[in-house]
Amino acid sequence: MQYLKALHKWTSVVVGIQLLLWLISGFYFVIMDHQDARGSVYRVRPPVQQIDHQRLLEPGLILSRQQASVGLQQITLLGIPYYLLTHEQGLYRHFTNSYSLVNAYNGELTRINEAMASSLARSSYNGPGTVVSALRLAPPVADLPKEQNSVWQVNFDDDINTSVYLDAGSGHVIGHSNDDKRFADFFFMLHFMDYGSVKGFNNIQIIFFAVVTLFLSLTGFIWTINLIANGRYALPFVGGNKAIELIDKNDLSIGVRRISSRQTLLDGLIEHDIALPSSCGGGGTCGRCKIVTDPIVAVGAADKHYFTDHELALGYRLACQHKGAEVKRLKLLDVVNARKHQLILVGSEFISPSIKELRFKPADGSKLDYRAGAYMRFFIPAAKGCSVPLRLPEAFQPHWHHIEQLEYQHLACSRSYSLANYGGRQELVFTIKYQSAPNNRVLPGAGSSYLCNLEPGKTIEAAGPFEDFYALPGASVTAGAEQQQKKTRVMIGAGAGMAPLKALIYEQLEKLNNKEALYFYFGAGTEQDLIYYREFTELQQQYPQFHYLPTLSRASDSWPGARGYVQQGLKDKLTNMDCLENVEFYLCGPTNMMSETIAMLRACGVEAENIAFDDFSR
Amino acid sequence: MKLLKTSRKVHKWLMLFIGIQFVIWSVSGAYMVIFDIDYIHGDSLVVQHRDIIDDKQINFPLKQVLARYPQAESLSLGSFVKQPVYRFSHDGQQYMVSAVNGDLLSPITESQAKAAARYYYSGSGIITAAQLISAHPPSELSGRHLPVYRVNFDDFASPSLYISALSGKVVTKRHEFWRGFDLMFILHVMDYQDGDPDNKLLLVSSLLALFAAMAGLVLVYFKVFRKKVPGADGNSQNPVATQGQLNRESV
Repeated sequence: MQYLKALHKWTSVVVGIQLLLWLISGFYFVIMDHQDARGSVYRVRPPVQQIDHQRLLEPGLILSRQQASVGLQQITLLGIPYYLLTHEQGLYRHFTNSYSLVNAYNGELTRINEAMASSLARSSYNGPGTVVSALRLAPPVADLPKEQNSVWQVNFDDDINTSVYLDAGSGHVIGHSNDDKRFADFFFMLHFMDYGSVKGFNNIQIIFFAVVTLFLSLTGFIWTINLIANGRYALPFVGGNKAIELIDKNDLSIGVRRISSRQTLLDGLIEHDIALPSSCGGGGTCGRCKIVTDPIVAVGAADKHYFTDHELALGYRLACQHKGAEVKRLKLLDVVNARKHQLILVGSEFISPSIKELRFKPADGSKLDYRAGAYMRFFIPAAKGCSVPLRLPEAFQPHWHHIEQLEYQHLACSRSYSLANYGGRQELVFTIKYQSAPNNRVLPGAGSSYLCNLEPGKTIEAAGPFEDFYALPGASVTAGAEQQQKKTRVMIGAGAGMAPLKALIYEQLEKLNNKEALYFYFGAGTEQDLIYYREFTELQQQYPQFHYLPTLSRASDSWPGARGYVQQGLKDKLTNMDCLENVEFYLCGPTNMMSETIAMLRACGVEAENIAFDDFSR
Repeated sequence: MKLLKTSRKVHKWLMLFIGIQFVIWSVSGAYMVIFDIDYIHGDSLVVQHRDIIDDKQINFPLKQVLARYPQAESLSLGSFVKQPVYRFSHDGQQYMVSAVNGDLLSPITESQAKAAARYYYSGSGIITAAQLISAHPPSELSGRHLPVYRVNFDDFASPSLYISALSGKVVTKRHEFWRGFDLMFILHVMDYQDGDPDNKLLLVSSLLALFAAMAGLVLVYFKVFRKKVPGADGNSQNPVATQGQLNRESV
């Protein structure tokens, strides 16, 4: 199927423009005035003249005087009867013919001259124009591409530049041509690709294009059939639900669930409280919502990106890229404890000009247990967003002065945010950056503006918690107990990359009472952006093994601490550190900071398995 | 981004309805351009004999023709299987008269029609059937040629010659490839109502097809000429290649 699609794509590249020309010219043929296109708008039959049969010479006599003929025809031109002798006869009139014209009353051989051609043309013409020129043309003639005989072209000075064509040998009016006809002929030229010496539509270029187009339309046709068979033509608001059999990772059936044909599997499963991990909210960019289904299910671009060909052949797909209509059964890869929860917002306050701390409680009063570093997926309803936060404290207002106030409508979506505290507590804490738009072409972040402007007391649905970024247990179970917890941990964060690291730090110190060294490098712009400064400073005094190292890139003169980017300070530290194999690094922050830091760590010889990172851009 | 999404939808949905017509257009179009039109027109089925009229054979002069048929019009002198004949119309009826002896030859008999067909036919196959058609011509024959003999030959592509019963001339010829062409042409212009010049069906189809193809071209532009397509959610962040591993519980 993918070869077929590739063929469809590349044949369309080859013939696309020509296909458009065919359709445009074809459409023109339908709407054009067929009378005009024939060029006969000013054409009339010449008047029929009575002839005197008594005066006609005997044909036999004429034949004996002229060169050999295959036929003789009595015709009348301009009221005078002639015998038209055909010496050479082509299969068709426009093929090569040779004629003589003999006066039928006196036997004189007549040649059609300019004056006679003009008169003949006038007798077939009823337009407003007069003759401006008469030319004897040898083939090829532009207006008559198929003509193989010499012709008289008699031109009239009317509004459409009529040309009357006569056969130079017989005086027969071949036809009229005018601007309307030439315009239509231009479209015929396009339609027939009639650009070369081969006149008509049997030229090599159109044959080539026709064959390629055949492949294009047939591949498209098969593709369409395939889409129909896969139920990809689900009408909006039609289609209903589909029973899908769910299988757990041990190949045991969990049972049948009904999922809307039009919903993605990711959204459909959450209705049944099966929350697959996803941090991008169904855009196909995080690659986390993995499932296994029938290998015949179409492979999307996102599937291709996240799975090897071998996995694709086994049926690995991303649940957010496929609709319920496409699958009959699917296998879940993880035992997911995550469920859908109703959360009540109990606190919402600014902790920096652009970051808010939001505190939620489950509506049912339960406590959620999870490992620090987990995230939850919020279901943001369709709503009106606002580019500037509401209820902004006065101190932070200057930061937002340059942002234009605008309201916009956003659709329902889902967005994931890391928890800033460890599990088993009453509250679920998040630190969310109010995402302003980088330029006018994109809207501000729908998820963050909705959540940050949510009023305390309101509820929102969220799925989770999902754990895929967490502290490694000190050592494997098989290793000796003395090995446990013997690892130095270095947390590196910047900007809004605070929440999962904060949760990890508190989990290690408060919950697990881990005595091993724990470093926390955190980079920010100004003092104002340095969130939780007081908390971490106090934590440092409380726990001697904890080292808090904030770094500011745009600090004021009074700032006593480190300056610059966090990765620079870290680099200086690394060069003084030995036995790096016993150090684990946890990273969370902007993509650039993370990729630079990872590159630097690897350059210093840190093993990949000792680096964990939470990339919230995915 | 919206343009890409819309185009994909438009292309997919319009093609559901008009796609089959694209197949018909491309199949019929390919047929028509691949087969040489002169071959299609059966030019190779007939021999263009160069039968010179011998004036010494003309023993029945025009004077006598006109005496017998005073209202004769559109007079011509030609050949019917090598014998010189006068052809003319009289009272709206066509006549063929021998120029040798003045015998009225029209309408010709079946055996004359067969002989004429044999004489003008270029192939070597034998005649399988000859029938006189005086009314209800088949679709491949224009009614103005009636009455006419249809003479079929046992040859590749089942050729037929149509010989006019009144003039003895080959008025048209057909073989399977021409019949195929006729069918293909009907399919190509969606002329299912027999020459209705106001073809609403074709108008609507070609308009829909135009939109469908334009949407397809937009897809080509995005998928081929603009390599980097942002993700479906408008988030143009390319996923960071994972060098670190996602941690799993050790067993």
